Amino acid sequence: MSTKRKRQSIYGLLFLAIMLFTGTLSPVRGQAEEDTYLIATDVTFAPFEFQNEEGEYVGIDVELLAAIAEDQGFDYELAPMNFSAGLQALEANQVDGMIAAMGITPEREESFNFSDPYFESGPVLAVRDDNAEITSYDDLDGKTLAVKVGTTGAEFAAELAEDYDIAISQFEDSATMYEDVLAGHSDGAIEDYPVMAYAIQQGLDLRFPEEPELGDEYGFAVNQGQNPELLEMFNAGLANVLEDGTYDEIVERYLGDSSEVAPRSGFFGLFQANFGDLMTGLRRTLILTLVAFAISLVAGTIIGLFSATPSKVLNVIANIYVTILRGIPLIVLAFFMYFTVPQLFGIQISAFTAGIITLSLNTTAYIAEQVRGGLAAVDKGQLEAARSLGLPYAVAMRKVVLPQAVKIMIPSLINQFVITLKDTSILSVIGIVELTQTGRIIIARSYQSGAMWIIVGFIYLVIITLLTKLSNRVERRLMRND
Amino acid sequence: MTKLRTEALRKSFGDLEVLKGLDLEVTEGEVVVIIGPSGSGKSTFLRCMNLLEEVNEGRVIVDDVDLTDPKQDINKIRQNIGMVFQQFNLFPHLNVMENITMAPKQLKDLSGDDARTLGTRLLDSVGMSDKADAYPSSLSGGQKQRVAIARALAMEPDIMLFDEPTSALDPEMVGEVLAVMKKLAQDGMTMVVVTHEMGFAREMADRVIFMDEGLIVEKGTPEQLFGDPQNERTRDFLDKIL
Ligand SMILES: Nc1ncnc2c1ncn2[C@@H]1O[C@H](COP(=O)(O)OP(=O)(O)OP(=O)(O)O)[C@@H](O)[C@H]1O
Ligand SMILES: [Mg+2]
Repeated sequence: MSTKRKRQSIYGLLFLAIMLFTGTLSPVRGQAEEDTYLIATDVTFAPFEFQNEEGEYVGIDVELLAAIAEDQGFDYELAPMNFSAGLQALEANQVDGMIAAMGITPEREESFNFSDPYFESGPVLAVRDDNAEITSYDDLDGKTLAVKVGTTGAEFAAELAEDYDIAISQFEDSATMYEDVLAGHSDGAIEDYPVMAYAIQQGLDLRFPEEPELGDEYGFAVNQGQNPELLEMFNAGLANVLEDGTYDEIVERYLGDSSEVAPRSGFFGLFQANFGDLMTGLRRTLILTLVAFAISLVAGTIIGLFSATPSKVLNVIANIYVTILRGIPLIVLAFFMYFTVPQLFGIQISAFTAGIITLSLNTTAYIAEQVRGGLAAVDKGQLEAARSLGLPYAVAMRKVVLPQAVKIMIPSLINQFVITLKDTSILSVIGIVELTQTGRIIIARSYQSGAMWIIVGFIYLVIITLLTKLSNRVERRLMRND
Repeated sequence: MTKLRTEALRKSFGDLEVLKGLDLEVTEGEVVVIIGPSGSGKSTFLRCMNLLEEVNEGRVIVDDVDLTDPKQDINKIRQNIGMVFQQFNLFPHLNVMENITMAPKQLKDLSGDDARTLGTRLLDSVGMSDKADAYPSSLSGGQKQRVAIARALAMEPDIMLFDEPTSALDPEMVGEVLAVMKKLAQDGMTMVVVTHEMGFAREMADRVIFMDEGLIVEKGTPEQLFGDPQNERTRDFLDKIL
């Protein structure tokens, strides 16, 4: 390939990256859509919120909100994310409201304003169907209980732990928590009664050794002092749907005896039924990877060059960047970008943008190190020969040293690409529905985690193998000259 | 007319003083050969002449321009001073033609056609025209060094610096490189050559410089220096290598 063609394809890639990136930059809540409320909800909390097989969000919360919004005439957009992430997003004003089967507790009332309660429920203990050992709370000594971070169920488990010798495992979503019990890691799970009842009705092999605990009221929340009109509309709308019977219809649909049971499909059935969702998730994973990698390739090269220049100041800047960004775990960086940065600067960032920035910052640090290593591996005589011809430093680097460094770096860049692709799965924690999060969502409605994780793992494996094959071929092309 | 001059040139690497005040004058068209034991500072001296090595004290003057003056555009001046390295330092990712034409294309805005004409002429002059499209990795050492000489000539310099251009070559290839250098000298190029090839020095040098421990110990015509060395250290050195 001529150097010109190579350069053109690099520019092409860059252009694509910028297009995609700016596409993602269009904020979720632009000024133009000021009266569209962004409402956080949980991703995996059937029967209150979950995705059906068509990929639409359904559930008691979702339909209640829709009914109230229609009654009151306001527009909203749902932002599904993990429960604890939703709480943080609400505190950070990343979202306007949150409806996620959230119990109204005094602690939460310190941070949020709640609507009138719209549902009453209490936590319940569930154990495996075949568990004969646990018949009451008294049998819990020495046992492990699974709970979901930040829920009323978790609080109840903590109360139980005062009376009994109980170990507590914390989970981010309900499906994982159930699976932990089914897999035998935890002996029981504590969860809101309607949620668990629905799951058991859908075929989950759990049972209740004790009656549900006494009530905990669910409310719709806004951040303390924010969006008072939204809260008012919710209360007014709630009164109306209770009045005209819509409310009862919705609850009956999910908890009544008539609610239909989802068939448990086999391995391939599961794959087939969710093929569309999985491909959408995969596409997001690939976009995240490609955009972040393209940005990191440019930024990493610049920072790598910084550490190779004779300028001490630039060396130090590069060193500081790499030290900091390599020293922060990706998941912490993701939370920082999505929750802390908006609070610090009073701006809003969509989860996707925050994800891209997170991944780019992280990958840039690693690529910068690879560039530095690649540049160091080029014989010093090359730069000297170029400079002796009168080429300025920048030109000599660009035309002579960098092309050789790139060749040296290609294997490690391919490796980094694979790592970045896999790292996108971590971004599911801020609610980006990429491949891993898609898997979680499907599990939340199908309760088939065993098969699902095999499918998700397989998809990653296939994609990474294909991409590695492809890049190896490109590598061989580039290496042909020496 | 003086083409290149160094005045009281000093250079240290950390605490190690490598050049201890060197004065040299090279007139236009002159061939100066520098000899001396390993580690005496020959390469460092040569590299100071185009400021590849930073100078601590003293001056380097080329065509009445002081290179050590920070106001001077060193890139401009270097275009006028070609350099040939012991290890060739050809650009492995470029073919022979691109190795030669890259700098003129970048620095003189030469069109593709003009660059190719220039490249072909230079390759002809070093007897390498049939290898224009080859990559350096496929060339022998002697061929590499001849291409490196053509590349150094591409900016049309009036001074050429050679740092042991034949030391990395198999003996049977030394001749072809020396032949190219002789032709250059005969065409009137001003040359400073660090070499252990005493035959070349005898035949081509207008003056020979003997360096030891960072100092110029003795200088003179080849007849004087080889035939009747005045300094003890020069005699020792010549005894060892001849
Ligand atoms: N970049 C450097 N850093 C530190 N010391 C150096 C450096 N370059 C050269 N030296 C030292 O400077 C001294 C002179 O080196 P130089 O390469 O100029 O000698 P030379 O006469 O060319 O020797 P040779 O015949 O082996 O090429 C040596 O002691 C060498 O170790
Ligand atoms: Mg040397």
